[in-house]
Amino acid sequence: MTAAPSHLDLLEAESIHIFREAAAQFRKPVLMYSIGKDSTVLLHLARKAFFPQKLPFPLLHIDTTWKFREMIAFRDKTAKDFGLDLIVHTNEDGIKRGINPIDHAPSIHTDVLKTQALKQALDKYGFDAAFGGARRDEEASRAKERVFSFRAAGHRWDPRKQRPEMWRLLNGRLGTGESVRVFPMSNWTEKDVWRYILREKLDVVPLYFAAERPTIIRNGQILMQDDARLQPKPGEEVKMRRIRFRTLGCYPLTAAVESDASDIESVVTETLNAQTSERQGRLIDHDQAGAMEKKKQEGYF
Amino acid sequence: MTVQALRKSGTEPSAQPARAIVPLRDLNGIVHLLTCGSVDDGKSTLIGRLLWDASDLYEDQRENVRKSGRKAADSDLPDYSMLLDGLVAEREQGITIDIAWKYFDTETRRFVIIDSPGHEQYTRNMASGASHADVAILLVDARAGVKKQTKRHAAILDLVGVKRVVLAVNKMDLANYSEDVFRKIEADFRTLCWKFGFWDATAIPLSAVYGDNVSTKSAAMPWYTGPHLLEHLEKAPSRGTASSGAFRFPVQTVLRDGQDFRGLAGTVSSGAVNVGDSVTDALSGRSAKVIRIATMGGDLKSATSGQAIALQLDTDIDVSRGAVLSASEMRPVAAQTVEARMVWLSETPFDPRAGYLLRTVTDLVPVATLEIKALLDLETMSSHPSTHCNVNDIAVVRIALGRPAAIDVFSDISETGTLMIVDAISGASIAGGVATAVNAKADILGDGHFILTREMLGNGLCRDLSLSSRDREEFMRRANEAAILLRAAGVSVAIEPPPMVDDGMDPGL
Repeated sequence: MTAAPSHLDLLEAESIHIFREAAAQFRKPVLMYSIGKDSTVLLHLARKAFFPQKLPFPLLHIDTTWKFREMIAFRDKTAKDFGLDLIVHTNEDGIKRGINPIDHAPSIHTDVLKTQALKQALDKYGFDAAFGGARRDEEASRAKERVFSFRAAGHRWDPRKQRPEMWRLLNGRLGTGESVRVFPMSNWTEKDVWRYILREKLDVVPLYFAAERPTIIRNGQILMQDDARLQPKPGEEVKMRRIRFRTLGCYPLTAAVESDASDIESVVTETLNAQTSERQGRLIDHDQAGAMEKKKQEGYF
Repeated sequence: MTVQALRKSGTEPSAQPARAIVPLRDLNGIVHLLTCGSVDDGKSTLIGRLLWDASDLYEDQRENVRKSGRKAADSDLPDYSMLLDGLVAEREQGITIDIAWKYFDTETRRFVIIDSPGHEQYTRNMASGASHADVAILLVDARAGVKKQTKRHAAILDLVGVKRVVLAVNKMDLANYSEDVFRKIEADFRTLCWKFGFWDATAIPLSAVYGDNVSTKSAAMPWYTGPHLLEHLEKAPSRGTASSGAFRFPVQTVLRDGQDFRGLAGTVSSGAVNVGDSVTDALSGRSAKVIRIATMGGDLKSATSGQAIALQLDTDIDVSRGAVLSASEMRPVAAQTVEARMVWLSETPFDPRAGYLLRTVTDLVPVATLEIKALLDLETMSSHPSTHCNVNDIAVVRIALGRPAAIDVFSDISETGTLMIVDAISGASIAGGVATAVNAKADILGDGHFILTREMLGNGLCRDLSLSSRDREEFMRRANEAAILLRAAGVSVAIEPPPMVDDGMDPGL
């Protein structure tokens, strides 16, 4: 008898199984690619699931135009290196209305440039299934999320309409107007993502590694001045600090941590021994109580 | 020393357990724990306590619990149940109505806690949660002991195939840490388990609020010499360790590289496969040889249960999604008729005129007729003839399929014996369950199974085996193999489960 598989072996196999089930059951799937570490692992698992075949679905990036510049460069390089079919979608209407994360509440920015944009893109291309890197360990309302998460017409998530999932049986038969979000990494934790990146030697956006970067302290959080759109308010100053990011999103909404972890081993060590959970660094979640659950009901990923 | 004095000096938790530096290496497997019991049994407190004591909680999560100032009932200790939070609506109701997943690591293990509701009106939630579990923790209040609900829970666990059960006898602090109280409950539990096919059933006396026997030995119960809960759980085998059993490979999809590669992609659901093995499609009976086991990390010489791979065969035997590959002499049945036990998941009752489909691991088959034969009373394990079926009912059903599908009897080879009934129009998951009998013929499904009895097996094939849980597992393995051979030869077979372990503590695990 061979040695027992490690927990990452088991998680990887489960994710591959889910990818294959979804690709076989849905007419037109798409992989939601948001460039961060979770998307990096998600994409790697997808490539493993269909090797040696080319990915049987495109990638979709919802670009709010407020992502870190290094994220966009990494996205384009990844698509080119792996020969991926990448779709980039922006809510042009929201941009024209001047919605932005500096002048507007994070919840408005997220709704218009992420949630609405995602719905537009799914409708425009007629995708019936979208893979996402969400994990059950991220947040309380996600702890109950299914692997196949059903959305009624209008992309609404109704907790009472979710299907029970038993054993490894995944029922992807859609009713009229329904679509589905598929979460192959449901059972991964933040720590697993980093352990796996280390084990599989995956490239990630350099912003995860510590470097001297221009920063502004606002509301007790360290923000990076990625371009001239973020300016210090009276009493604030732009200062170089040695920082890195635990999660990546729109740069004015993503807090950095001061750190010396400048390579993958030290980042993993720092993460595995961290004292706070990762969503501390995401400003949108502090917006209101039950924030994530409300966003989900409205169609946020 | 009084119990109260022990309380003060003995097992109070340190405010914050020492955090070990977490190693970079992978953990040694995953164990999925189902926790079932009602709010009153202190379930959330027990899970919270396990997380607090044993796991790698983040400091901000610990701080939230301390800062809240909430206290566990009748104590000065923090309310650990706060670590289990759920949907807003459920928090307001104060009950868990859906399954919640929670993850924690000890130094060597990943544990997944599947928290499911206990009330009768949520049988379907518990059954779906239990279907993912390797070990189930049944919680009872020491003052109440084994209740009707405990019996119902044990029956559901057995139905969905959980083989390892722990009876957590909680609130021993409120029963004066009495050995007599515990032994009485333990004896009731053993009597109860006798009816079921569990391989291991262990009772542990504990107090979740004070932490007695949760992750440290209780000083208040010196008479208990068995393992504490976490110690017991850390010894449970991880998923994916068993590669014994007949080979099964449900094909998910076909992969092509645009040249000459045609790979059958899937996850080995039972047993093992090697390059050079001959494999057979259960439906057509056609065989071919495995010439390559492909993964992106490199080709493999062999693959075992749980591994996701792509098989390349030497000849094209025209198989695609829905096929199940096996060894030719140990095939699943190309079933036309299936008898199954199903948990009715849908709010919509059974309707003989509705259109249904049957989902197996990778196949979706039209149902010609679905017939309700009886409903099971989980508390007495008796069945009552019935032709209707509602949400949360456990039904004995007979399914005639529109075309053959490769299906095993669940008690022999579990994954390829799992089933789900799907509404053909809405796509909703209507019922989930397990095949108890399969037949390649269209209409007759014999009431006359050949029964492999304990006595028959114990006198011959299993004569060398004891009642330890390891031998119990081996007993079932041999019985299953015998049944598969007989079934492949066209005999309809059922297996009587072996007797329960009788000695309380089990050195075999």
